[in-house]
Amino acid sequence: MPSTPRNRLGDLERVVIEELWTTADAHPEGRTVREVHDAIGVERGLAYTTLMTVLDRIAKKDLVRRERDGRAWRYTAASTRAELTSESLHHTLGELAGDTRRTALLHFLDESTPEELDELRAALAELEARRPDEAKR
Amino acid sequence: MLVVAALVVLAVLLAWPVPRALARATSLRRAPRAALVLWQSTAATAVLAALLAAPAAIPLLVGRQVRLSEHWVTLAVAAALSGVVAVRLLLSGDRVGRNLRTARRRHRDLVDLLGVPGEGADRHMRVLEHTTPTAYCVPGVRRRVVLTQGTLDRLGPDELSAVLAHERAHLGARHDLVMEFFTVVHEAMPGFLRCDDALREVHLLIEVLADRAAVRHAGAVSTGRAIVAMAGGPKPAGAMAMADSTRVATARIGLLDAERIAGLPIPVVAAMMYAVSAVLIATPLALYLGAIAELTLV
Repeated sequence: MPSTPRNRLGDLERVVIEELWTTADAHPEGRTVREVHDAIGVERGLAYTTLMTVLDRIAKKDLVRRERDGRAWRYTAASTRAELTSESLHHTLGELAGDTRRTALLHFLDESTPEELDELRAALAELEARRPDEAKR
Repeated sequence: MLVVAALVVLAVLLAWPVPRALARATSLRRAPRAALVLWQSTAATAVLAALLAAPAAIPLLVGRQVRLSEHWVTLAVAAALSGVVAVRLLLSGDRVGRNLRTARRRHRDLVDLLGVPGEGADRHMRVLEHTTPTAYCVPGVRRRVVLTQGTLDRLGPDELSAVLAHERAHLGARHDLVMEFFTVVHEAMPGFLRCDDALREVHLLIEVLADRAAVRHAGAVSTGRAIVAMAGGPKPAGAMAMADSTRVATARIGLLDAERIAGLPIPVVAAMMYAVSAVLIATPLALYLGAIAELTLV
Protein backbone atom coordinates (compact mmCIF):
# COMPACT_ATOMS: atom_id res chain seq x y z
CA MET A 1 0.00 0.00 0.00
CA PRO A 2 1.42 3.43 -0.84
CA SER A 3 1.99 5.12 2.49
CA THR A 4 -0.02 8.30 2.05
CA PRO A 5 -0.68 10.21 5.28
CA ARG A 6 -4.32 9.09 5.21
CA ASN A 7 -3.38 5.42 4.89
CA ARG A 8 -0.84 5.76 7.67
CA LEU A 9 -3.44 7.31 9.98
CA GLY A 10 -5.89 4.57 9.00
CA ASP A 11 -3.35 1.90 9.93
CA LEU A 12 -2.68 3.62 13.24
CA GLU A 13 -6.39 3.87 14.00
CA ARG A 14 -6.62 0.11 13.66
CA VAL A 15 -3.60 -0.48 15.91
CA VAL A 16 -4.97 1.92 18.54
CA ILE A 17 -8.49 0.48 18.68
CA GLU A 18 -6.98 -3.00 18.76
CA GLU A 19 -5.06 -1.93 21.87
CA LEU A 20 -8.27 -0.56 23.46
CA TRP A 21 -10.12 -3.80 22.67
CA THR A 22 -7.45 -6.14 24.02
CA THR A 23 -7.04 -4.17 27.25
CA ALA A 24 -10.76 -3.45 27.76
CA ASP A 25 -11.13 -6.15 30.44
CA ALA A 26 -8.02 -5.15 32.36
CA HIS A 27 -8.84 -1.42 32.13
CA PRO A 28 -12.61 -0.97 32.10
CA GLU A 29 -12.09 2.67 33.14
CA GLY A 30 -10.34 3.32 29.79
CA ARG A 31 -6.83 4.38 28.86
CA THR A 32 -5.23 7.78 28.64
CA VAL A 33 -3.20 8.92 25.64
CA ARG A 34 -0.08 8.54 27.81
CA GLU A 35 -0.92 4.88 28.57
CA VAL A 36 -1.66 4.10 24.92
CA HIS A 37 1.57 5.80 23.96
CA ASP A 38 3.52 3.73 26.49
CA ALA A 39 1.85 0.53 25.30
CA ILE A 40 2.16 0.89 21.54
CA GLY A 41 3.71 4.25 20.71
CA VAL A 42 7.18 3.96 22.19
CA GLU A 43 8.22 0.79 20.36
CA ARG A 44 6.88 2.22 17.08
CA GLY A 45 8.66 5.51 17.58
CA LEU A 46 5.38 7.44 17.49
CA ALA A 47 5.05 10.90 18.96
CA TYR A 48 2.64 11.41 21.84
CA THR A 49 0.82 14.02 19.77
CA THR A 50 0.35 11.56 16.90
CA LEU A 51 -1.55 9.19 19.18
CA MET A 52 -3.56 12.12 20.53
CA THR A 53 -4.57 12.96 16.94
CA VAL A 54 -5.44 9.35 16.16
CA LEU A 55 -7.60 8.93 19.27
CA ASP A 56 -9.27 12.25 18.55
CA ARG A 57 -10.07 11.10 15.01
CA ILE A 58 -11.64 7.82 16.15
CA ALA A 59 -13.58 9.68 18.85
CA LYS A 60 -15.02 12.02 16.19
CA LYS A 61 -16.26 8.94 14.33
CA ASP A 62 -18.05 7.84 17.53
CA LEU A 63 -16.04 4.64 17.61
CA VAL A 64 -14.39 5.42 20.95
CA ARG A 65 -15.82 7.25 23.96
CA ARG A 66 -13.81 9.57 26.15
CA GLU A 67 -14.23 10.86 29.67
CA ARG A 68 -12.40 13.55 31.61
CA ASP A 69 -10.02 12.24 34.23
CA GLY A 70 -8.35 15.20 35.87
CA ARG A 71 -6.48 16.97 33.10
CA ALA A 72 -6.41 13.97 30.76
CA TRP A 73 -9.01 12.13 28.71
CA ARG A 74 -9.68 8.43 29.24
CA TYR A 75 -10.62 6.57 26.07
CA THR A 76 -12.69 3.37 25.82
CA ALA A 77 -13.84 1.55 22.68
CA ALA A 78 -17.52 2.35 22.14
CA SER A 79 -18.35 -1.21 21.06
CA THR A 80 -16.59 -4.54 20.93
CA ARG A 81 -15.14 -5.80 17.67
CA ALA A 82 -17.96 -8.36 17.38
CA GLU A 83 -20.63 -5.68 17.86
CA LEU A 84 -19.11 -3.45 15.20
CA THR A 85 -18.74 -6.32 12.73
CA SER A 86 -22.35 -7.23 13.30
CA GLU A 87 -23.39 -3.59 12.86
CA SER A 88 -21.53 -3.28 9.60
CA LEU A 89 -23.17 -6.44 8.26
CA HIS A 90 -26.66 -5.46 9.33
CA HIS A 91 -27.18 -1.84 8.41
CA THR A 92 -30.69 -1.73 7.08
CA LEU A 93 -31.97 0.33 4.22
CA GLY A 94 -34.60 1.77 6.54
CA GLU A 95 -31.93 3.53 8.56
CA LEU A 96 -30.24 4.54 5.38
CA ALA A 97 -33.28 6.23 3.92
CA GLY A 98 -34.23 7.65 7.32
CA ASP A 99 -37.70 6.33 6.68
CA THR A 100 -39.19 3.34 8.43
CA ARG A 101 -41.78 2.77 5.73
CA ARG A 102 -39.08 1.61 3.40
CA THR A 103 -37.41 -0.87 5.70
CA ALA A 104 -38.86 -3.83 3.86
CA LEU A 105 -37.99 -2.45 0.47
CA LEU A 106 -34.84 -3.67 -1.25
CA HIS A 107 -34.03 -5.40 1.96
CA PHE A 108 -33.61 -8.93 0.80
CA LEU A 109 -32.77 -10.55 4.10
CA ASP A 110 -35.99 -12.54 4.34
CA GLU A 111 -35.49 -16.11 5.42
CA SER A 112 -35.35 -18.55 2.55
CA THR A 113 -37.73 -21.49 2.57
CA PRO A 114 -36.38 -24.99 1.73
CA GLU A 115 -38.38 -24.87 -1.55
CA GLU A 116 -36.68 -21.62 -2.55
CA LEU A 117 -33.28 -23.12 -1.82
CA ASP A 118 -34.18 -26.18 -3.93
CA GLU A 119 -35.18 -23.90 -6.81
CA LEU A 120 -31.91 -22.01 -6.46
CA ARG A 121 -29.86 -25.21 -6.63
CA ALA A 122 -31.96 -26.48 -9.54
CA ALA A 123 -31.29 -23.26 -11.46
CA LEU A 124 -27.55 -23.74 -10.95
CA ALA A 125 -27.75 -27.40 -11.97
CA GLU A 126 -29.55 -26.37 -15.20
CA LEU A 127 -26.89 -23.77 -15.92
CA GLU A 128 -24.15 -26.36 -15.38
CA ALA A 129 -25.97 -28.81 -17.64
CA ARG A 130 -26.16 -26.20 -20.41
CA ARG A 131 -22.42 -25.56 -20.11
CA PRO A 132 -20.76 -28.89 -19.40
CA ASP A 133 -17.29 -27.71 -20.46
CA GLU A 134 -17.25 -24.87 -17.94
CA ALA A 135 -18.82 -26.98 -15.22
CA LYS A 136 -16.00 -29.53 -15.31
CA ARG A 137 -13.39 -26.98 -14.36
CA MET B 1 -53.37 24.45 -24.87
CA LEU B 2 -53.19 20.96 -26.28
CA VAL B 3 -49.44 21.00 -25.64
CA VAL B 4 -49.91 21.66 -21.93
CA ALA B 5 -52.55 18.96 -21.63
CA ALA B 6 -50.34 16.51 -23.54
CA LEU B 7 -47.42 17.14 -21.15
CA VAL B 8 -49.67 16.57 -18.13
CA VAL B 9 -51.04 13.34 -19.61
CA LEU B 10 -47.54 12.15 -20.52
CA ALA B 11 -46.28 12.75 -16.99
CA VAL B 12 -49.23 10.90 -15.47
CA LEU B 13 -48.89 7.92 -17.85
CA LEU B 14 -45.18 7.56 -17.19
CA ALA B 15 -45.62 7.91 -13.45
CA TRP B 16 -48.48 5.49 -12.97
CA PRO B 17 -49.27 2.72 -15.51
CA VAL B 18 -45.98 2.53 -17.43
CA PRO B 19 -43.64 1.62 -14.53
CA ARG B 20 -46.14 -0.99 -13.36
CA ALA B 21 -46.26 -2.59 -16.80
CA LEU B 22 -42.50 -2.37 -17.26
CA ALA B 23 -41.88 -4.08 -13.90
CA ARG B 24 -43.91 -7.04 -15.16
CA ALA B 25 -41.98 -7.32 -18.44
CA THR B 26 -39.40 -9.61 -16.85
CA SER B 27 -38.07 -10.93 -20.17
CA LEU B 28 -36.45 -7.51 -20.73
CA ARG B 29 -34.03 -8.44 -17.94
CA ARG B 30 -32.09 -10.42 -20.53
CA ALA B 31 -30.90 -7.11 -22.00
CA PRO B 32 -30.13 -5.36 -18.68
CA ARG B 33 -28.27 -2.37 -20.07
CA ALA B 34 -30.95 -1.45 -22.60
CA ALA B 35 -33.68 -2.14 -20.04
CA LEU B 36 -31.99 0.21 -17.56
CA VAL B 37 -31.76 2.91 -20.23
CA LEU B 38 -35.48 2.43 -20.91
CA TRP B 39 -36.26 2.74 -17.19
CA GLN B 40 -34.11 5.83 -16.88
CA SER B 41 -35.69 7.49 -19.88
CA THR B 42 -39.17 6.64 -18.55
CA ALA B 43 -38.42 8.29 -15.21
CA ALA B 44 -36.59 11.25 -16.76
CA THR B 45 -39.38 11.82 -19.29
CA ALA B 46 -42.03 11.76 -16.56
CA VAL B 47 -40.06 14.34 -14.59
CA LEU B 48 -39.38 16.50 -17.66
CA ALA B 49 -43.01 16.45 -18.80
CA ALA B 50 -44.19 17.42 -15.32
CA LEU B 51 -41.62 20.20 -14.98
CA LEU B 52 -42.32 21.61 -18.47
CA ALA B 53 -46.13 21.56 -18.24
CA ALA B 54 -46.47 25.01 -16.63
CA PRO B 55 -43.61 26.71 -18.55
CA ALA B 56 -45.17 25.48 -21.82
CA ALA B 57 -48.32 27.50 -21.04
CA ILE B 58 -46.39 30.76 -20.72
CA PRO B 59 -45.73 31.39 -24.46
CA LEU B 60 -49.39 30.56 -25.18
CA LEU B 61 -50.59 33.11 -22.65
CA VAL B 62 -48.05 35.72 -23.73
CA GLY B 63 -48.98 35.21 -27.37
CA ARG B 64 -52.66 35.65 -26.38
CA GLN B 65 -53.59 32.44 -28.19
CA VAL B 66 -55.44 31.28 -25.13
CA ARG B 67 -57.33 33.22 -22.53
CA LEU B 68 -56.75 32.48 -18.88
CA SER B 69 -60.48 32.62 -18.21
CA GLU B 70 -61.25 29.85 -20.73
CA HIS B 71 -58.51 27.42 -19.79
CA TRP B 72 -57.98 28.06 -16.12
CA VAL B 73 -58.53 24.41 -15.13
CA THR B 74 -55.78 23.04 -17.41
CA LEU B 75 -53.49 25.87 -16.44
CA ALA B 76 -54.07 25.33 -12.73
CA VAL B 77 -53.38 21.59 -13.07
CA ALA B 78 -50.19 22.26 -15.05
CA ALA B 79 -48.96 24.89 -12.58
CA ALA B 80 -49.68 22.65 -9.60
CA LEU B 81 -47.99 19.67 -11.26
CA SER B 82 -44.82 21.51 -12.21
CA GLY B 83 -44.55 23.26 -8.85
CA VAL B 84 -45.21 20.22 -6.69
CA VAL B 85 -42.87 17.99 -8.71
CA ALA B 86 -40.05 20.56 -8.58
CA VAL B 87 -40.33 21.03 -4.82
CA ARG B 88 -40.71 17.34 -4.01
CA LEU B 89 -37.75 16.39 -6.21
CA LEU B 90 -35.50 18.93 -4.53
CA LEU B 91 -36.53 17.80 -1.04
CA SER B 92 -36.22 14.12 -1.89
CA GLY B 93 -32.87 14.59 -3.61
CA ASP B 94 -31.50 16.41 -0.62
CA ARG B 95 -32.77 13.84 1.87
CA VAL B 96 -31.76 10.72 -0.08
CA GLY B 97 -28.34 12.12 -0.94
CA ARG B 98 -27.57 13.20 2.60
CA ASN B 99 -28.77 9.93 4.17
CA LEU B 100 -26.85 7.81 1.68
CA ARG B 101 -23.64 9.71 2.24
CA THR B 102 -23.98 9.60 6.03
CA ALA B 103 -24.63 5.85 6.00
CA ARG B 104 -21.73 5.22 3.63
CA ARG B 105 -19.32 7.38 5.60
CA ARG B 106 -20.22 5.55 8.80
CA HIS B 107 -19.89 2.24 7.04
CA ARG B 108 -16.52 3.12 5.54
CA ASP B 109 -15.24 4.19 8.97
CA LEU B 110 -16.37 0.84 10.36
CA VAL B 111 -14.85 -1.39 7.71
CA ASP B 112 -11.63 0.62 7.69
CA LEU B 113 -11.31 0.02 11.39
CA LEU B 114 -12.40 -3.62 11.35
CA GLY B 115 -11.17 -4.92 8.06
CA VAL B 116 -7.74 -5.99 6.97
CA PRO B 117 -6.87 -3.86 3.93
CA GLY B 118 -5.70 -5.41 0.69
CA GLU B 119 -2.43 -4.45 -0.93
CA GLY B 120 -1.52 -2.77 -4.22
CA ALA B 121 -4.40 -2.97 -6.69
CA ASP B 122 -6.59 -4.40 -3.91
CA ARG B 123 -6.07 -1.48 -1.57
CA HIS B 124 -9.79 -0.65 -1.66
CA MET B 125 -10.57 -4.12 -0.35
CA ARG B 126 -11.33 -4.91 3.29
CA VAL B 127 -11.69 -8.39 4.73
CA LEU B 128 -13.97 -8.69 7.78
CA GLU B 129 -13.47 -11.47 10.30
CA HIS B 130 -16.88 -13.14 9.97
CA THR B 131 -17.97 -16.60 8.90
CA THR B 132 -21.08 -15.60 6.90
CA PRO B 133 -20.12 -15.37 3.23
CA THR B 134 -20.96 -11.94 1.91
CA ALA B 135 -19.44 -9.40 -0.43
CA TYR B 136 -20.48 -5.86 -1.25
CA CYS B 137 -19.07 -2.54 -2.22
CA VAL B 138 -19.42 0.87 -0.63
CA PRO B 139 -19.56 3.31 -3.55
CA GLY B 140 -18.28 6.84 -3.58
CA VAL B 141 -15.01 8.64 -4.04
CA ARG B 142 -13.36 6.64 -1.26
CA ARG B 143 -14.83 3.35 -2.41
CA ARG B 144 -14.47 0.00 -0.68
CA VAL B 145 -14.99 -3.62 -1.65
CA VAL B 146 -15.81 -5.59 1.48
CA LEU B 147 -15.51 -9.37 1.80
CA THR B 148 -15.86 -11.60 4.83
CA GLN B 149 -13.36 -14.27 5.77
CA GLY B 150 -16.25 -16.72 5.22
CA THR B 151 -16.32 -15.69 1.56
CA LEU B 152 -12.61 -16.34 1.13
CA ASP B 153 -12.95 -19.71 2.88
CA ARG B 154 -15.97 -20.92 0.97
CA LEU B 155 -15.33 -19.72 -2.59
CA GLY B 156 -12.94 -21.22 -5.12
CA PRO B 157 -10.59 -18.93 -7.06
CA ASP B 158 -12.87 -18.66 -10.14
CA GLU B 159 -15.90 -17.89 -7.98
CA LEU B 160 -13.97 -15.30 -6.03
CA SER B 161 -12.85 -13.61 -9.22
CA ALA B 162 -16.51 -13.57 -10.35
CA VAL B 163 -17.50 -11.85 -7.09
CA LEU B 164 -14.75 -9.27 -7.41
CA ALA B 165 -15.58 -8.58 -11.06
CA HIS B 166 -19.22 -8.08 -10.04
CA GLU B 167 -18.33 -5.57 -7.33
CA ARG B 168 -15.82 -3.77 -9.56
CA ALA B 169 -18.49 -3.41 -12.22
CA HIS B 170 -20.76 -1.68 -9.67
CA LEU B 171 -17.99 0.69 -8.64
CA GLY B 172 -16.54 1.32 -12.09
CA ALA B 173 -19.87 2.09 -13.77
CA ARG B 174 -21.15 4.05 -10.74
CA HIS B 175 -24.28 1.92 -10.51
CA ASP B 176 -24.93 3.63 -7.20
CA LEU B 177 -25.74 6.89 -9.03
CA VAL B 178 -28.29 5.10 -11.23
CA MET B 179 -29.90 3.63 -8.12
CA GLU B 180 -29.77 6.99 -6.33
CA PHE B 181 -31.56 8.71 -9.22
CA PHE B 182 -34.40 6.17 -9.09
CA THR B 183 -34.57 6.35 -5.30
CA VAL B 184 -34.86 10.15 -5.45
CA VAL B 185 -37.66 9.99 -8.04
CA HIS B 186 -39.38 7.19 -6.13
CA GLU B 187 -39.28 9.09 -2.84
CA ALA B 188 -40.39 12.30 -4.50
CA MET B 189 -43.66 10.65 -5.50
CA PRO B 190 -46.56 10.66 -3.05
CA GLY B 191 -47.11 7.28 -1.40
CA PHE B 192 -50.06 6.17 -3.51
CA LEU B 193 -48.11 6.71 -6.74
CA ARG B 194 -44.94 4.92 -5.68
CA CYS B 195 -44.26 1.59 -7.28
CA ASP B 196 -42.02 -0.57 -5.11
CA ASP B 197 -41.88 -3.24 -7.81
CA ALA B 198 -40.35 -0.71 -10.18
CA LEU B 199 -37.57 0.16 -7.75
CA ARG B 200 -36.96 -3.52 -7.09
CA GLU B 201 -36.81 -4.27 -10.80
CA VAL B 202 -34.27 -1.51 -11.41
CA HIS B 203 -32.17 -2.84 -8.56
CA LEU B 204 -32.31 -6.35 -10.04
CA LEU B 205 -31.31 -5.01 -13.47
CA ILE B 206 -28.25 -3.36 -11.94
CA GLU B 207 -27.28 -6.68 -10.34
CA VAL B 208 -27.81 -8.51 -13.65
CA LEU B 209 -25.60 -5.95 -15.36
CA ALA B 210 -22.82 -6.55 -12.82
CA ASP B 211 -23.34 -10.30 -13.25
CA ARG B 212 -22.63 -9.82 -16.96
CA ALA B 213 -19.25 -8.36 -16.08
CA ALA B 214 -18.60 -11.33 -13.78
CA VAL B 215 -19.53 -13.79 -16.57
CA ARG B 216 -17.11 -12.09 -18.97
CA HIS B 217 -14.43 -12.38 -16.34
CA ALA B 218 -14.96 -15.79 -14.82
CA GLY B 219 -17.58 -17.60 -16.93
CA ALA B 220 -21.29 -18.23 -16.34
CA VAL B 221 -20.90 -21.35 -14.21
CA SER B 222 -18.42 -19.81 -11.76
CA THR B 223 -20.64 -16.74 -11.48
CA GLY B 224 -23.68 -18.94 -10.86
CA ARG B 225 -21.85 -20.89 -8.17
CA ALA B 226 -20.74 -17.66 -6.53
CA ILE B 227 -24.32 -16.36 -6.48
CA VAL B 228 -25.52 -19.58 -4.84
CA ALA B 229 -22.71 -19.47 -2.26
CA MET B 230 -23.57 -15.89 -1.33
CA ALA B 231 -27.37 -16.16 -1.43
CA GLY B 232 -28.97 -15.48 1.90
CA GLY B 233 -26.00 -13.67 3.37
CA PRO B 234 -26.58 -10.29 4.98
CA LYS B 235 -26.25 -7.20 2.88
CA PRO B 236 -25.72 -3.76 4.34
CA ALA B 237 -27.73 -0.88 2.99
CA GLY B 238 -26.35 1.71 0.62
CA ALA B 239 -23.99 -0.96 -0.51
CA MET B 240 -24.40 -3.14 -3.55
CA ALA B 241 -24.05 -6.74 -2.71
CA MET B 242 -23.64 -10.12 -4.28
CA ALA B 243 -26.08 -11.49 -1.70
CA ASP B 244 -29.77 -11.31 -2.43
CA SER B 245 -32.95 -13.06 -1.52
CA THR B 246 -33.06 -16.62 -2.72
CA ARG B 247 -35.74 -15.90 -5.28
CA VAL B 248 -33.78 -13.00 -6.74
CA ALA B 249 -30.64 -15.17 -6.81
CA THR B 250 -32.56 -17.88 -8.71
CA ALA B 251 -33.74 -15.32 -11.25
CA ARG B 252 -30.20 -14.00 -11.71
CA ILE B 253 -28.78 -17.47 -12.36
CA GLY B 254 -31.37 -18.05 -15.09
CA LEU B 255 -30.22 -14.80 -16.75
CA LEU B 256 -26.49 -15.55 -16.81
CA ASP B 257 -26.48 -17.15 -20.24
CA ALA B 258 -29.67 -15.78 -21.81
CA GLU B 259 -29.52 -15.38 -25.57
CA ARG B 260 -32.97 -14.47 -26.89
CA ILE B 261 -35.97 -12.36 -25.89
CA ALA B 262 -39.33 -13.54 -27.22
CA GLY B 263 -37.55 -15.45 -29.99
CA LEU B 264 -35.54 -12.42 -31.13
CA PRO B 265 -31.78 -12.05 -30.71
CA ILE B 266 -30.99 -9.85 -27.71
CA PRO B 267 -29.21 -7.08 -29.71
CA VAL B 268 -32.36 -6.58 -31.80
CA VAL B 269 -34.57 -6.16 -28.73
CA ALA B 270 -31.94 -3.95 -27.10
CA ALA B 271 -31.85 -1.69 -30.19
CA MET B 272 -35.64 -1.40 -30.02
CA MET B 273 -35.48 -0.44 -26.36
CA TYR B 274 -32.84 2.22 -27.08
CA ALA B 275 -35.03 3.62 -29.86
CA VAL B 276 -38.10 3.77 -27.61
CA SER B 277 -36.00 5.47 -24.93
CA ALA B 278 -34.84 8.13 -27.37
CA VAL B 279 -38.38 8.80 -28.61
CA LEU B 280 -39.67 8.99 -25.03
CA ILE B 281 -37.16 11.57 -23.88
CA ALA B 282 -37.58 13.59 -27.10
CA THR B 283 -41.36 13.85 -26.71
CA PRO B 284 -41.66 16.39 -23.86
CA LEU B 285 -38.80 18.42 -25.33
CA ALA B 286 -40.48 18.50 -28.75
CA LEU B 287 -43.80 19.49 -27.19
CA TYR B 288 -42.16 22.31 -25.25
CA LEU B 289 -40.19 23.57 -28.24
CA GLY B 290 -43.42 23.45 -30.24
CA ALA B 291 -45.06 25.75 -27.71
CA ILE B 292 -42.16 28.20 -27.92
CA ALA B 293 -42.16 28.09 -31.73
CA GLU B 294 -45.80 29.17 -31.78
CA LEU B 295 -44.88 32.26 -29.80
CA THR B 296 -42.13 33.30 -32.21
CA LEU B 297 -44.45 32.78 -35.18
CA VAL B 298 -47.03 35.21 -33.83
